[in-house]
Amino acid sequence: MNTKEWALIAYTILTQMSVGAFVVLGLAHTYALRKAGEKQANALSNRALLAIGPVLVLATLASLFHLGNPTNAYRAISNIGSSWLSREILLTLLFIGAGGVFAIMQWRQIGEFRVRQAIAVVAAIIGLGLVFSMAQVYQLRAEPAWDTAATPVLFFTTAFLLGALAVGVAFVATYTYLKSRVSSDELGQLSDLLRDTLRWIAVGSIVLLGVELVIIPLYVSTLATGGPTAIASVDKMIGDYGVVFALRLILGFIGAGLFGLFLYRSAVLNRQNVMITAVYAAFALVLVAEVLGRFLFYASQARIGL
Amino acid sequence: MSEQLGFYVNLAKCTGCKACQIACKDKNDLPIGVMWRRVAEYTGGEWIQDGDQYLPNNVFAYYVSSACMHCEDALCMNVCPAAAIERRDDGIVLIDSDKCIGCRYCEWACPYGAPQFDEDRGVMTKCTFCADLIDAGEKPACVAGCTYRALDFGPISELREKYGDFDAPAPLPDPTITHPNVVFSPHPRAVSYESSAGKVLNAEEL
Repeated sequence: MNTKEWALIAYTILTQMSVGAFVVLGLAHTYALRKAGEKQANALSNRALLAIGPVLVLATLASLFHLGNPTNAYRAISNIGSSWLSREILLTLLFIGAGGVFAIMQWRQIGEFRVRQAIAVVAAIIGLGLVFSMAQVYQLRAEPAWDTAATPVLFFTTAFLLGALAVGVAFVATYTYLKSRVSSDELGQLSDLLRDTLRWIAVGSIVLLGVELVIIPLYVSTLATGGPTAIASVDKMIGDYGVVFALRLILGFIGAGLFGLFLYRSAVLNRQNVMITAVYAAFALVLVAEVLGRFLFYASQARIGL
Repeated sequence: MSEQLGFYVNLAKCTGCKACQIACKDKNDLPIGVMWRRVAEYTGGEWIQDGDQYLPNNVFAYYVSSACMHCEDALCMNVCPAAAIERRDDGIVLIDSDKCIGCRYCEWACPYGAPQFDEDRGVMTKCTFCADLIDAGEKPACVAGCTYRALDFGPISELREKYGDFDAPAPLPDPTITHPNVVFSPHPRAVSYESSAGKVLNAEEL
C-alpha cells in the first residue's frame, strides 16, 4: 500500500462521518422539535451542525495530499460525464456548499423554517449521493476486492455508525457546556432530550454493528471463492494484516456493541455520568475500528492482469 | 480519420530477451520504476508420479510482451477525473501530463498496468505508441528493437486479418473488460486468460 492512501483514508472516513452526522442530526432535530419545541431543539443541535463544517474542510484538504500534482487539483471535476471520481469530488463540493448555506441560515435563524428545512433535505440528498458515488469509484472490474456490493453497504454503514456516534458526542459536549449556563427548568428538558436521542443512537449503533458483523465475514468468504487475485486480497486482509483485521472487529464490537449497551442502559436509567463516558468511549473505539477497516480496504487492493 | 492502430506479438517467436522493453525505456527516457513495455514470464505445469520417479508432465513456459493496448474501451480515459487522457485520430491513447492531477486512479482501473506513476514529476505516464516516430513514418521503438521480429504494429483491422484475433493469453486479463487493440500469435503452449495453470515468475521486475 502506498503511504499516500492515508490521505484517502482520512478523506473517505471524515466525509462519510459528516454525511451520516448530517442525516442523523436532521432526524434528531426533527424528534426534538416535536418533543420539546424549537428553542430546546436548536440549543441541542446547532453546535453539532456547525462542527460538521470544519470536519468536511479537513477531509477535502486531506484528499489533496493524495495527489501527485496538487496544483492541477481544480481539474478533478473535468470528467463528470464518465468518471465517478469527478462526480465524487463535485458532490463533496456541493455538499459543503448546501450544508454550509443551511448551517448559516439555521445558526442565524435566517429565512422561513420551511425554506431551511427544504435546503437541509437537499443537502442530505446530495450527501447520500456523495457516499454512493464514493462507493462507485471503487467498482472497478480490475479490482475484485473492491468491485463487490460490500463496498457501498460498508461505506453507508460507516457513514451512519460514525455519524450517529459523532452526533451523540456533540450532544453530550453541548449539554456539558450548557449545564451551568441555562435555568434548571431548561436543563431538565435538555437532559430528557439528551437521554432520548442517545437511547436511539445506542440502538442504531448496535444495529449497524450487526450489519457489519454479517457483511464483513460474508464479504471475506465470498472473496475467498473468487479468482487468484481475489484470493491474494483475502491473504493480505486476514493473513498479512490479520492482526489489524481482528483488532478492527474487536474494537468495533466493544465500541458499538458493549459501550452501545452501556449507553442504552445508562440513558434509560438516567445515569448521566455513565452515559457521557459511554458515548465518548463508543465514538473513540468505533472511529479507530473504522479507520483500521478503511486501512484494510486500501491495503488489500490487488489488481487482475499484469 | 485514420485507422485504429494496434500491436502484434508473436508469442511463439518471443524468447523473452526483453530488447523491446529496453528499446522503449531508452527511446522514451523512462525513469526508474517506470516501464511502458514489460515482458512477463508465464510458467506452469506439474510432475506426475511414475512408480518411484516423478516425470515432468505438462511443464510449460512462455513470454508475453505487453504495453498499453490503446483499448477500444479505454477505462483509463473513462475514469480519469481530469479528462487528461485522450485518443488521437489514429487511436493512440495519450496522457497529457499538463492536465494530470496525479491521483493514480487510472492505475487502479487498467488491468494491463499500462498507466504508471512518475514519482519525480508526480504525474502518470503511459506508452505513447511512440507517436512521434509514427508521425515521422517510423516504427515504434519496441517493434524496431525486437531481435526476433516477433513484434509488429499497424491498423488493428489489418493485423487481425493477417494474424487472427487472439488477444488474451494468460497472464493478461479478460479482454471483454477493455477490448484491447492487440493481437497475439499463440505460443504452442499458451493458455487463455481463464486458465490458472501457471503463474508469472518475474512479478518483481514488472
